[in-house]
Amino acid sequence: MINFDNVSKVYSHQNRAALENVSLSIDKGEFAFLVGPSGSGKSTFLRLILKEERPSGGRIHVAGRDLARLSNWKVPHLRRRIGCVFQDFRLLPNKNVYQNVAFALEVIGKPRRFIRRVVPEVIDLVGLEGKYDRMPHELSGGEQQRVAVARAFVNRPMILLADEPTGNIDPATSIGIMKVLDRINRTGTTVVMATHDAAIVDSMRKRVIELEYGKIVRDQFRGIYGQSY
Amino acid sequence: MRSNFVLQEIWIGLRRNLTMTVALIVVVAISLSLLGTGLLFYQQVNNTRTYWQSKVEISVYLCTANSPNHSCHGAASQAQIAHIRQTLDSMPQVESSTFQSQAKAYALFKQYFANDQSYLNTVTRNEMPPSFEVKLKDPARDYNVVASAVTGAPGVDSVIDEETILNKFYQLLGALRNAVIIVALILIIAAIMLVANTIRLSAFNRRRETGIMRLVGASNLYIQLPFLLEGVIAGLIGWVLASFLLVGVKSLLLNNLQQYFSYNVGLSTTDLVEVIVLAMLVGVVLCGVTSFVTLRRYLRI
Repeated sequence: MINFDNVSKVYSHQNRAALENVSLSIDKGEFAFLVGPSGSGKSTFLRLILKEERPSGGRIHVAGRDLARLSNWKVPHLRRRIGCVFQDFRLLPNKNVYQNVAFALEVIGKPRRFIRRVVPEVIDLVGLEGKYDRMPHELSGGEQQRVAVARAFVNRPMILLADEPTGNIDPATSIGIMKVLDRINRTGTTVVMATHDAAIVDSMRKRVIELEYGKIVRDQFRGIYGQSY
Repeated sequence: MRSNFVLQEIWIGLRRNLTMTVALIVVVAISLSLLGTGLLFYQQVNNTRTYWQSKVEISVYLCTANSPNHSCHGAASQAQIAHIRQTLDSMPQVESSTFQSQAKAYALFKQYFANDQSYLNTVTRNEMPPSFEVKLKDPARDYNVVASAVTGAPGVDSVIDEETILNKFYQLLGALRNAVIIVALILIIAAIMLVANTIRLSAFNRRRETGIMRLVGASNLYIQLPFLLEGVIAGLIGWVLASFLLVGVKSLLLNNLQQYFSYNVGLSTTDLVEVIVLAMLVGVVLCGVTSFVTLRRYLRI
């Protein structure tokens, strides 16, 4: 599903590579944690998958496509197959829960009937039934992140990328979010989650990829966060 | 593509920076109407020129009994008149020449100044010079040849080319046109900067929305179209205002000018429509292209 072949990324005006000769592959339906200190290259890794950045060297395949050969006008179609969740939720403050989730489908031109059918399903899936018309500021952090997850998943992407989705949420609420992500993973969606949250990684017992200074220092199935942090 | 979604986005964008939008519309309206006015003046000069070109004549005024001109020694004799007629008619450049007697000149004079008794009272029939009205085949080229052939001939008082009189009028309109177009161009530059700024502000205001649109895979067209149309719609509203102003310019200013100079070459409705359509193209292209170029810079895809 995601295949990195000897990928490097050097940002201009920087000496050190953000990623250096990274090779790995994440299969369809896998759940992988991306761990490592700040600046270790986790975000660059996620941005490369979205083709928000271009690698300085190496090849990247996502959903069977060679990103180097993907023309710019086809990038939106790639992104429709990838859902994204961020630490800061990125909800639209002037739209309610339903509208926030529906927005993701409206802007890719889905018919209204389809939107009316699937949006409530996904909102229920993330556990926000009955809160369709709440505005983001009326929700707790955990609930806002659930809306963001619903928005990322509403188009049934093949891959879900999560960049520290529990970074702004207390541990108890984080468990709820992780349950939602796990549920999404069980539908066959590949989930890649960058995190600093050791407790979550240890409790989930999923694949753990550890980056340090842009290199993979550990790639472990059913791993734990590690002792050094 | 869901049109109501795009329309909604445009409406939000236009409403959010209302002051900028209003400023943009006003500047576009004024610059387009000035540009259109310049074009109307241009058309007016052209129409008048073609109209007169076919009619322009050289007037050869003959001496009267009391002409102040030194080359005149009493009224032109019949022999002199016949000689002048012969000179003119033998020239290949002359299409036709007609003799206008004092009686006919006086009759025309009375007709022109029918409602100005003081003129009629001071000028007598004998003071009106008889003349040859000469029609040229190619006025622009042959004027000098014909004029010099008769200038100074016995019995000739003066030779007047009507085009020199008309040229003053053309110059006036031409100068007005140039002034108006220069101001229009300056305003168009201002309009371009305003469009760029409005779109930039709009893109900044909605960076959250566009960021999410990018993320969930909205096509570039879907992301950019509302901004592009926002600029174009503001331009169109400005154009509609400019059209009204242009209709006013034509019916008030140019038509009055025409009456003042007592000639009868008006601008047709087609001329006005042409100018208005041209103004629309300028407005739409100006706003559309500027929006597009600005978007390339400020809306990362």
